Amino acid sequence: MSKVSTGRVLIGGAAVVAASLLVYACAGGSGGASVAAGDAAARVYVAPGSYDEFYAFMSGGFNGQIGVYGLPSGRRLKTIPVFSQYPENGYGYTEETKPLLNTSFGMIPWDDTHHPALSQTNGEDDGRWLFINGNNTPRVARIELTRMETEEIIEIPNAAGNHGSPFVTENTEYLVASTRFSVPVPNRDVPIGDFKKAFKGQISFVVANEPGKMRIAFQLVVPGFSYDLARSGKGPSHGWMFLSTYNTEQANSLLEVNASQNDKDYVAAVNWKAIESCAKAGKARPAAAEYMHNYMDEKSRVAKSERMTSVPQLTPADCPGSIYFMPTPKSPHGADVDPTGEYITAGGKLASVIPVHSFSKMTKAIEGKEFAGEIDGIPVLKYESTIAGEVTNPGLGPLHTQFDDKGFAYTSFFLSSEIVKWNVETREVVDRVPTYYSIGHLLVPGGGTSKPTGKYVVAMNKITKDRYLPTGPELTQSAQLYDITGDKMKLLLDFPTEGEPHYAQAILASKIKDRQVKFFTLAENTHPQVAKTEAAAGISRQGRAVHVKMTSIRSHFAPDNIEGVRLGDTVYFHVTNLEQDWDIPHGFAVMGNAQAAELLIMPGETRTLKWVPTKVGVHPFYCTDFCSALHQEMQGYIRVSAPGSAVALTATLSKPTTAPAPAGNK
Amino acid sequence: MLMASVLVAGALAVPLWRIDLIAPQYPEGLGLLIRANTITGIKPQDLKSINGLNHYIGMAEIVPESIPELRYMPYILMAFAGAALLVAIRANRTAILSWLVAFGLLGVAGMADMYKWGYDYGHNLSPNAIIKVPGMSYQPPLIGSKKMLNFRAVSLPAAGGWMLGLAGGLAFAALMVGRRRGTVAALAVAAAAAACTPGPREIVLHQDACSYCRMTISDARFGGQVVMRTGKIETFDSVECLVSWRRTADTTAIAGTYVMDLEHPGTLVNAETAGFLRGATVASPMGGAMVAFATPAAAATKQSALGGTLATWDDLQREPTTQSGVGSP
Repeated sequence: MSKVSTGRVLIGGAAVVAASLLVYACAGGSGGASVAAGDAAARVYVAPGSYDEFYAFMSGGFNGQIGVYGLPSGRRLKTIPVFSQYPENGYGYTEETKPLLNTSFGMIPWDDTHHPALSQTNGEDDGRWLFINGNNTPRVARIELTRMETEEIIEIPNAAGNHGSPFVTENTEYLVASTRFSVPVPNRDVPIGDFKKAFKGQISFVVANEPGKMRIAFQLVVPGFSYDLARSGKGPSHGWMFLSTYNTEQANSLLEVNASQNDKDYVAAVNWKAIESCAKAGKARPAAAEYMHNYMDEKSRVAKSERMTSVPQLTPADCPGSIYFMPTPKSPHGADVDPTGEYITAGGKLASVIPVHSFSKMTKAIEGKEFAGEIDGIPVLKYESTIAGEVTNPGLGPLHTQFDDKGFAYTSFFLSSEIVKWNVETREVVDRVPTYYSIGHLLVPGGGTSKPTGKYVVAMNKITKDRYLPTGPELTQSAQLYDITGDKMKLLLDFPTEGEPHYAQAILASKIKDRQVKFFTLAENTHPQVAKTEAAAGISRQGRAVHVKMTSIRSHFAPDNIEGVRLGDTVYFHVTNLEQDWDIPHGFAVMGNAQAAELLIMPGETRTLKWVPTKVGVHPFYCTDFCSALHQEMQGYIRVSAPGSAVALTATLSKPTTAPAPAGNK
Repeated sequence: MLMASVLVAGALAVPLWRIDLIAPQYPEGLGLLIRANTITGIKPQDLKSINGLNHYIGMAEIVPESIPELRYMPYILMAFAGAALLVAIRANRTAILSWLVAFGLLGVAGMADMYKWGYDYGHNLSPNAIIKVPGMSYQPPLIGSKKMLNFRAVSLPAAGGWMLGLAGGLAFAALMVGRRRGTVAALAVAAAAAACTPGPREIVLHQDACSYCRMTISDARFGGQVVMRTGKIETFDSVECLVSWRRTADTTAIAGTYVMDLEHPGTLVNAETAGFLRGATVASPMGGAMVAFATPAAAATKQSALGGTLATWDDLQREPTTQSGVGSP
């Protein structure tokens, strides 16, 4: 009996333990239903015919383009092709635009765009130009914002992976372009194992405020780390550029582990004004380098390509005081400067705090030589000497920070998939919201400048999953718009984005809307093959090249019947759009064109399609943009004869005739 | 004891334990099932995904083949099932008690072993881990819920675990047959089981969105809530949405379903005991005119004023949801 009682007590006790465990099990928090502000629909509704408040320019990532969106509606307005050919309008296919894609590696029809940067005046977005990097084959492009077209591209020599780029200085004096992959400088055939010996980084400063004349002012050769994102100083810190670094371990294999071992990497503080003085004093050497500079002539709208052969180069030893390292935990990604220019914050991808450096403490530490060591002659400042404070327990995987106009910072967290709002002065976390899902960059219009706005933050997410109707394995990317006017961030809108946006820029529409070009003035068109009237149209042969000067106006081409072309010839259609009216582009496409796309010609503009016929016969061409009621009649024929044929070269357009009444019409 | 034998043998065929990992970027869920002889993902690729995640924090890869206990466990359970069968034939109280004590010891040993493996995985992290958070370890909870970095881990018995528990309970009941205290013990076991149903939480108007139609919930008279076994909450702005959502949901993962009581806005009542009116003259948010009351009697009382037809929760499952704007004729 006593045995049984003991057993019962044991079992009873076990039951109590089990019950309490079960109750404990039930105490877990609740999962998240998606939460949007109650009046969200009204907050993002832009009535028919009304305009959005902001233009947002989002990088397209692997599509090599820029997407233009309206905020707060999230409506997509345009795709600006930059580094990728765009058959929709012939960018990169037309003879006029092909030179823009030239590099020292040859013509490259694709790249990976990451970080758009609006030009600035006095630290404020001024709406003149937008710059963006080509990450893969190191390049920086300038987009003219009155036309929203790519007009200039410069290649960056001695770089590989132009990721930390372009970030502009307070008056767009320069933009920075640093290297993600350190490579041998100059690049040559060396064993990869010689990484620590032969591989170098570089930080280039590109003159950015002279359209058509982008050039590398000076290139600083630095230790072989990975240089990541950057932000220029402003106000008191104007004259400095702050760049994050990782792989200070200088690993060359399995970086995900081997470049994640140091508890701290660095934010490089680069005094570009000092380097500018050193360069002026003749300390920079012209180093042999091959790279291309391509730009669009404004009046002819024809791009030119020039091959550059040297770059002004210097090392930190040539210019003492030009660069310092601030230890920063751990593998920092974003480096961001607050609107006052005093605080520099970095998002350590693997860090458990957000460090906030102080510019004034940094300058004092430099004066007081509070150094913890030196790397290749670059002083490493003591962490305690530059740090203003740390945001503790902010979240997991901080990446990028944007600022508002009320002294708050917004940091994106990839791993914990959220935006965390914190007070810049007190470093206290005040709010957090989930993002859907795994946010990368975030955007507050003006949030990286001296004059941020305080209405919205946009999350640009890396993972979409179930946010929209599914579309097979490949899904659109997803952005979310949050209201930041109150104490708490409020989710307003999900909207799909094309490509894979990394960073974005947004500007008040009022700053650029009224400067938008509606059409090009025909009288000012200086294209060498322009035909400003139908009478000026015609055809000419230069050996095996046939040039057709053609005009288009609603609803015909002149000429529209072309004969005398022989197989083996190359035909150039130079089509001028004679319209001088808003939103009347004409298209041009010819059958069997294996080398190019179509032309989409803006009013007043001339564009050239190269066509190498491959078959004898009569080939139609037609207008591809529905331009008028008789768009379908806007067409023509080109006759291709056998090689050696004696058909005369003619290009004609018949006079209007009175057609006989059709048979049976009484 | 015969039932206990069948339950123990049956537990071999189904998962014993379930660990859900809940994070914002896994809306489709992620987790592990521990079976007697192996560990698998809840979805086929989950184990691979979890090992992929764990490599960031330097946790060793979970390789079921390397866990020797998983090789012995099926034989041990078979032995217990066989022993229970023998005990059932002999029907001897001492035998029952011996079996029960041994079975209890097995449970304790099993839990201790699971704790040990969890501890080892959670604490023995590679010194070269990519992400090192000072003071952080990643041991999953033995039972219950725990926040680890961006994941919430919920560890609960799965069907097999409950079957083993029930087998123990039945053996205990067999031991107590004829004794007054048996009733008390049975009640205690029942109360403990009841305590585990996770309850609903309050619906926050203008904040919570409908999991089915994605609209924000703005009227406290309508709607409902589903509480998943993992503790995840799904909220709905109307009974119609809840019913439609439930049609495509994994109903075995649902712990409880609740609906708003029309007469007491904001009050959630158990859907299974609630009463409903279909085609009533009250326009619910999705136009289905489907409203809920605390009891079928309350629904019947209101029928004269609001019109419509009476329905139970089961009726709603069987028949298609009315989606017209005017309700049923």
